[in-house]
Amino acid sequence: MINLDRRLLLGFDWLWFLALLALSAAGAAEIWSTTNGTTLNSYFGKQLIFLCCSLVAFFVLLYFDYHIFSDFINFIYVAGIAVLLLVLFIGHSIHNNKSWISLGAFSFQPSELMKLLVIVALAKYYSESDREYLGLRELMYGGAIVFVPTLMVLLQGDMGTAVTFFPIYAALSLLAGIKRKHLIVLIVCMAVVSPAGWFYLHGYQKGRIEIIFNPASDPHGLGYQARQSEIAIGSGMLIGKGFKQGSQGNGGFLPARHTDFVFAVLAEEKGFVGSIALLGLFLFLFFRLFRTAREARDKIGTMIVSGVLALLLFHVFINIGMVEGLLPIMGIPLPFVSAGGSSLISYYAAMSLCMSVRMRRYVN
Amino acid sequence: MVVQQDTNKQLIQQRLNFSRVPVLLVFLLLAARLWQLQIIQGSEYALRAEHNRNRTIELLAPRGTISDRNNIPLVENRPSFDVLLYREEIKDKAATARFLTEKLGVTSEELETRLRRSKGSALYHPILIKEDAGIEDISVIESHRRDHPEIQLGPQPRRLYHYGKLAAHLLGYVGEISEQDLDGNLFPGSKVGSLVGQTGIERIYNNLLIGKDGERRVLVDSVGREVGLADETESVIGGELQLTIDLDLQSVAEKALEGKVGAIVAMDPRNGEILVMASSPSFDPNAFSPHISAGEWNDLKNDPDRPLQNRAIQNSYSPGSIFKLIMAEAGLEEGLLDDDPAVVCHGSATYYGRVFHCADKNGHGALHLEQAIARSCNIFFYELGRKLGISRISEHARALGLGERTGVDLPSERSGVMPSPEWKMKTSRTKWYDGETISVAIGQGAVSTTPLQIVRAVSAIATGGLVTTPHLLKRAEAGGNLNWPDRRISIGVEKSRRIREGMWQSVNNGGTGHNAAIPGLDICGKTGTVQVVGNENKKLMREDSEDHSWFSGFASRDNPEIAVTVFIEHGGKGGIVSAPLAKLIFGTYFEKHKKSLNLQTEGARSQEPEARMMPKVIR
Repeated sequence: MINLDRRLLLGFDWLWFLALLALSAAGAAEIWSTTNGTTLNSYFGKQLIFLCCSLVAFFVLLYFDYHIFSDFINFIYVAGIAVLLLVLFIGHSIHNNKSWISLGAFSFQPSELMKLLVIVALAKYYSESDREYLGLRELMYGGAIVFVPTLMVLLQGDMGTAVTFFPIYAALSLLAGIKRKHLIVLIVCMAVVSPAGWFYLHGYQKGRIEIIFNPASDPHGLGYQARQSEIAIGSGMLIGKGFKQGSQGNGGFLPARHTDFVFAVLAEEKGFVGSIALLGLFLFLFFRLFRTAREARDKIGTMIVSGVLALLLFHVFINIGMVEGLLPIMGIPLPFVSAGGSSLISYYAAMSLCMSVRMRRYVN
Repeated sequence: MVVQQDTNKQLIQQRLNFSRVPVLLVFLLLAARLWQLQIIQGSEYALRAEHNRNRTIELLAPRGTISDRNNIPLVENRPSFDVLLYREEIKDKAATARFLTEKLGVTSEELETRLRRSKGSALYHPILIKEDAGIEDISVIESHRRDHPEIQLGPQPRRLYHYGKLAAHLLGYVGEISEQDLDGNLFPGSKVGSLVGQTGIERIYNNLLIGKDGERRVLVDSVGREVGLADETESVIGGELQLTIDLDLQSVAEKALEGKVGAIVAMDPRNGEILVMASSPSFDPNAFSPHISAGEWNDLKNDPDRPLQNRAIQNSYSPGSIFKLIMAEAGLEEGLLDDDPAVVCHGSATYYGRVFHCADKNGHGALHLEQAIARSCNIFFYELGRKLGISRISEHARALGLGERTGVDLPSERSGVMPSPEWKMKTSRTKWYDGETISVAIGQGAVSTTPLQIVRAVSAIATGGLVTTPHLLKRAEAGGNLNWPDRRISIGVEKSRRIREGMWQSVNNGGTGHNAAIPGLDICGKTGTVQVVGNENKKLMREDSEDHSWFSGFASRDNPEIAVTVFIEHGGKGGIVSAPLAKLIFGTYFEKHKKSLNLQTEGARSQEPEARMMPKVIR
């Protein structure tokens, strides 16, 4: 039954896999460091369980050729939409986001996995075209694939996740080829929609954006989190305060320190050296993904890897940018590092898909 | 088709390769920001993290205690608590304000001024909201700790003046530093909210009295709970001060002044140590500790008797006949009294076309200096004044310290006025009239003196010319300058003997000062009665038109240990009102000293036999 081709195994990129593990290990270590002995100390154990689940998912998915998913993506995509609809009715809220489904002791966020389905669906759709540039119809149809689930996630109230669908669309459209006039029209649309979107933001979300431009305006209100995060990072200095020594994190000054702000905890305890090392791991990962995209056997492989790359890059940029005080605060976790099961499993699944593309680059 | 697919693939490859650039840029941006936060501004953020984690609680040092010359404590400290607001902990400004106004009775205006005043201070410095919290306030705050962690109690030692109104003027009081003092350099190291001496000894020796504030740095978490102690430096109590004041004498003086307006000063003529400095009416400095209410303050400020004023040094009065002592000194020095021509007093005399009266309308008859002092004859001194002229009078009076500050270690001392032609030219741009000299000769006219100046001048006459710097500080634990410069005027003990003789006669030989006499004690003195308004007005306004009443003297004649000056505003005749009060002081002083002398001699006697026996035993 299990008939693994030797060439398949040779295609497995160990360095890449180790980089992934290193990121997750660093994340888990910081989660332990900052939550052990506090009311949040269950997060480390949960994270380990999620990590095991993620690895199982990673290797199980690796066994299947990625074409199996792309061939059945229509059904899988529709099933995904159905689950999102379901969430709208039976989901429960965490921090105003009605995007969670209870699975026994754990809560799951289907929208995280939906991103992956959107990537495969869009990759599949765009790769069917052999033209140098996408036509208007294709652009609009592709847009529909992406923005239908986006809208549903928005309806769940999860702004942060909804925003992450956009880079998938942008990256894959650009890669597949977009005519200048279409690009201009799209940019103009964005420019019009963005200010209009301002009025639909909650007050606190507007505040988070305003605070970026005037950080000192209300340090105890909206700016508090950003200010505490900057203090945490800055006070880490060159080599950091050491494991479990981060006063900002352990003193409870930093909200969401084990999830969205885990990078600040790492920067405080491991300093500039540790933070740059983490950025280096991500950069290494991205260049491996670039290579995989280039060397993929077919266009759909390239597209899938590129979509995952765009999604990851967006997450890393938005998360670290917000933690460093460069961008407004949005509820976006740091891939592989932040505590949280749904995103961890989704990203390992995405990585598995990319690894699958790499392993099967020569296989016919 | 294949070709097209290939070009398509090439295009995609190109686009992929190109998109590595923005990825690199994103990472460069993130890394650059890390560099900025952690390397360039790292130490700054490290400091802010420390402040986040540490809360510094000031441990205010109690001020040094103040005691009298016999080490009886006059001023000490008592524990108390202040209500402090930690702005960093405020969760809901409105709720905090409500709590403070409704539960702790802080008015919203007061809250506003306090917040405004500390606007510039660092956020982690607490703001003082209410001083000396009562037991009710303390229990309210303790029971709302959870809801209002931003409001806390801070220990603050407060001044306790054991004897209330006693010696209030010289001790002074303590209060929050004024904006004016904050800008000045009188109180180095003080800051907004510091408690500093506002008047008296508390002010002038503030820097000897202040201790060293301590600090308790505690580790706190984000909700302000203490999770550990980082560091503690205990506060060090301020240095002790010992004053030259004698509590027993001071009490007698204050009691004697009760219901009167005036001052009593007593000093050791040999060294300038002030034994008594009482001013009446007085105030209770405890009312200022911690904070005087606006009502009480206004009452003190608007009281027509001005209880806040230290009449011993802060107000000057015509010295009246007391000035005759200075005239006598000038006359002796200038040799005008050497051949001792007797002056005949007919009750009045005419100088420069104006009739001047003596106190005794019938005249004193022929007098020498001694009798002139004892009976306080005006005519004798008119004549002496005419001979001396204003310049010489002024010169000698200044040598005795009139018209200048004595240099006593108290703030806001008045210098009084010793007129001279130059002084008149300068202040009113008019010439000196010789007639004015005649007025000055009996201590009227423009001359004005503080009671302390008088006690110093009389001390100089008592010691035969030693002009001291009167002072209150005997010993300071924290060091401080104990060098009190004095000077000698040339008259000498012999030449001045006749003045002392006159003063002795005044008290002991039927003179104006006989009410100060104590049998067995050679008390010397001089009375003074200063007309406030003309005789015709006297009938119209009774109270404020009474004469000012002086007595100044020393004891004993041949061995002066204590000089006393009594001044009563609108008291009446000096010999009747002031002399008996001086007698009380002299009496108490010698009573006390006889006792201690007796104790000493008794002790010496009881030791004597033993001392004699001891050598025998050894031999």
